[in-house]
Amino acid sequence: MSGARLRIVGGTVHDPANGVDGEVRDICIDDGRIVAELPSGTPTLDARGMIVMPGGVDIHSHVASSACNHARRLLVEEHSASPVAAPALEPGISPGRSGTGGTLPSTFTTGYRYAGLGYTTVFDAAVAPSTARHTHAEFDDTPIVDGGFYILLGNDDYLLRQVDAGERDRARDYAAWMLEATGGYAIKIVNPGGVQAWKSGQRNLTAIDEALGSSRVTPRAILETLADAANTLRLPHPVHIHCNNLGQPGNSTTTLATMDALSGRRAHFTHLQFHCYGSGPEGKTGAWSSAARQVIERVNGDPHVSVDVGQVMFGPATTLSADGPAQYLLQASSGRKWTNIDVELETGCGIIPYRYEERAAVSSLQWAVGLELFLLATDPWRVVLSTDSPNGGSFEAYPALIQLLMDRTVRDEQLKRVNQRLLAGSALADGLAREYTLNEIAIITRAGPARLLGLRHKGHLGVGADADVTVYSREADLARMFSLPRYVIKGGTLVVEEGQLRRAPAGRRLRLAPKHDDAVVSDLRRFYDDYGTVAFDNFPVRGLRDAPLELG
Amino acid sequence: MLTIAKGRITAAERACPLGIAWFGDGQVPDRVLVDGKPTDVQRAVDRAAALLGEARGRLVVVLGAELTASAYGAALALADALGAVTDSVISEPAAAGILAAQRRGRATATLGEIRNRADLMVYWAVDPDRRYPRYRSRYAAASRALHLAAGDHPRTVVSVTVGGDAGPADADLRLVLTPDQELLALAELRAGLQGRHLGGEALPPGVAELAGRLTQAKYVAIVHDGEPTAERRTPERIEGLIGLTQALNGPTRAALSTLRAGGNRNGAEAVSTWQTGFPFAVDFSRGAPRYQPHRRAGGADGSSPSAVLVVGAPESLSDPLRASVQRVPVVVIGPRASAAPFPATIAIDTGVAGIHEAGIGYRLDDIPLPLQAPLPGPRSAEALLRDLLARVATASGAPR
Repeated sequence: MSGARLRIVGGTVHDPANGVDGEVRDICIDDGRIVAELPSGTPTLDARGMIVMPGGVDIHSHVASSACNHARRLLVEEHSASPVAAPALEPGISPGRSGTGGTLPSTFTTGYRYAGLGYTTVFDAAVAPSTARHTHAEFDDTPIVDGGFYILLGNDDYLLRQVDAGERDRARDYAAWMLEATGGYAIKIVNPGGVQAWKSGQRNLTAIDEALGSSRVTPRAILETLADAANTLRLPHPVHIHCNNLGQPGNSTTTLATMDALSGRRAHFTHLQFHCYGSGPEGKTGAWSSAARQVIERVNGDPHVSVDVGQVMFGPATTLSADGPAQYLLQASSGRKWTNIDVELETGCGIIPYRYEERAAVSSLQWAVGLELFLLATDPWRVVLSTDSPNGGSFEAYPALIQLLMDRTVRDEQLKRVNQRLLAGSALADGLAREYTLNEIAIITRAGPARLLGLRHKGHLGVGADADVTVYSREADLARMFSLPRYVIKGGTLVVEEGQLRRAPAGRRLRLAPKHDDAVVSDLRRFYDDYGTVAFDNFPVRGLRDAPLELG
Repeated sequence: MLTIAKGRITAAERACPLGIAWFGDGQVPDRVLVDGKPTDVQRAVDRAAALLGEARGRLVVVLGAELTASAYGAALALADALGAVTDSVISEPAAAGILAAQRRGRATATLGEIRNRADLMVYWAVDPDRRYPRYRSRYAAASRALHLAAGDHPRTVVSVTVGGDAGPADADLRLVLTPDQELLALAELRAGLQGRHLGGEALPPGVAELAGRLTQAKYVAIVHDGEPTAERRTPERIEGLIGLTQALNGPTRAALSTLRAGGNRNGAEAVSTWQTGFPFAVDFSRGAPRYQPHRRAGGADGSSPSAVLVVGAPESLSDPLRASVQRVPVVVIGPRASAAPFPATIAIDTGVAGIHEAGIGYRLDDIPLPLQAPLPGPRSAEALLRDLLARVATASGAPR
């Protein structure tokens, strides 16, 4: 069934963006959009007794990038262990594709599996601008989901020059040009200045006022410059920030200082869990504790701040980050195999296969910190779900995470099993009774991310919205319920039918082309002519299939 | 910058001698042959679809050189639909390098980082001027480097010669090793970073000097040849180079730069990786990708296929692959297919990526570059492969 019109009949609708919380309603679809009514005789889909939500929106994942592909190449063991046959798609369309699974599945499998969870929009959170062409090519082979990506700025040489010179307008124009040239959607900052320090032999920047070499560049200056650029350009999503000191004990100080530095500005702090660690008792160096409460209270009180959690889930993961220095430290402490790639004039990349274990003290603390952030958050619209897939675990763990949030019994049972050594005094160990409602789940997995991304046609089921809809059968086992939607509709096409993937249309590309002063282009051309290895005219990605989204 | 007159390339500005030879005058054959006789494309595609369909489950698809990334993607879709085994024109040393990196990881950098940061260039058994004539001028001896102090000679050049594999002649430090000394030297250098000495008294004194230079440098680039050279290499060699480079990232920063053969081999591996999880040697015969890097199609232990589809330039096939395609029906779709150096049942000439076909090509450091099509070509390899896929899917009644 892939007709242009469809009425989903009698489902219990959770559409928090439109104030609908568990009401029995029909949802009408015409030509890929939600409409108010349809003529009688329109084909119907019986959703009586089922739960209807907008399609899921993943605000932060790693699915389609050069870094992902380097990771796929490294993950030969998990791919060898997880061959995936092609889905049995409806005859008459392009054949389904086989692939491999694991924490970083092959592209076709990625599209199928996201759709199979009821997710219809995914953003790759870290793309080096010079490799954007690759990301588009991967998205071309990632069916069903609409995709976009964030470009990595904040360690790039051209930007740092502008920051050093106090040329904030030029930095803004440069960011705008980069978004247009790459087909990106938002600005991602990873360890501002720290990756450049790693590449320069300074190792890292660990405090937001630490200078990069002898320059005037500090994390604070980078953050202010890019946050102001995004906000001045009226980008739908603010700067997407991975703070300095990821994964280090005591890093909550840096996280809070970063939030303070951007006070009053819109900013999104990503995989916050990895940035919420306190020191041990009496500030013991190198010891760990949870600082989730301090950080989330800061978030709760600041309406300009949004976050995704970056929950750790026990089991296999792949740490994959532009944060080269953080990855260096992880390989040194874990002894695991490690790939490091320095990307010219732009950023870094570190990849380490990893595993979070219940018996491990730090893994358990990370698990608890993420849950504390969720459970202590007061505004689900600003604290949304992610595992920083595959860093904290695969996106395929989302149903299990939802179950942990909705079912205290399951959560407490797991809490009993995990290593308790670092949990003393943590809010979770002290007992958090909160259980998320279905409406809150709809917010943190759909409505909230869509709103934070400024996607007016996503994350809701109001008239004019994209007809991305997920229908779940009610089940007592919430993890099972959220991992096996009964129906998934993407852009009006029924892609999952009776729990089976049946159609795999191409997804759209979500990108922006902000306006900029062309003076920056001639300056950039000189810079690339002097220091680049890719001809400047070859830098922009041309011939993209979908037009950029309108701003404003 | 190409100069084109009357449909021919007459000059290739800024291209190195290898590039000029590769462009030639841009002319490629435009023929379609079945059993050696000219025919039209549709007839050839029909015949190819039938032949490949009959070989379902016992087909080898070889990803040759000189196609766009999307053409490789189409070839992999076809291989998936037909339950084929893929192989590529990757050389044995290059495959060993990938396998080593899969075991250990690696520390590397894109070429621009080397250009702008590397103050110590170590050419390990490779002369870049012969192998990649523009490597040094573009990436390793550029007059302007963002992170190097200004000066006439901001970089130190080390030449390591191993047997018949010589480094550049104009090095600041020259180290000459026998093939037997190479692994020991790599181990000694790595041990030296940890303050240990393995007792390599048989090694020349230059090893100790190189150890000192490595740790004193701010950013070390070790350049080596990933392709076959005069000296036969063991897999331990690339493991040693990877291990040394990774270990250097404690005391300083370092990257291993691997020179590969051209023709968008990196592109074929990139697409194979994102579509299947594996860069080459993928077996679809059991309905899903399985990695068979040690059971290559042209190898002695490879099983006998019923047919072979060569996608890309046929002259890029290795000798074992050429031998394997002598025994079975072969379909060749690619540049100069009609001039294949082996008997082809069906040969359909296409254009060359970057001359006649636009798309994406991957540099040796995996930076994706846009390929232009300054000349019209015979026909698109990707379009032919997608046509074949559609016919194969139709012939099978339904996709798997």
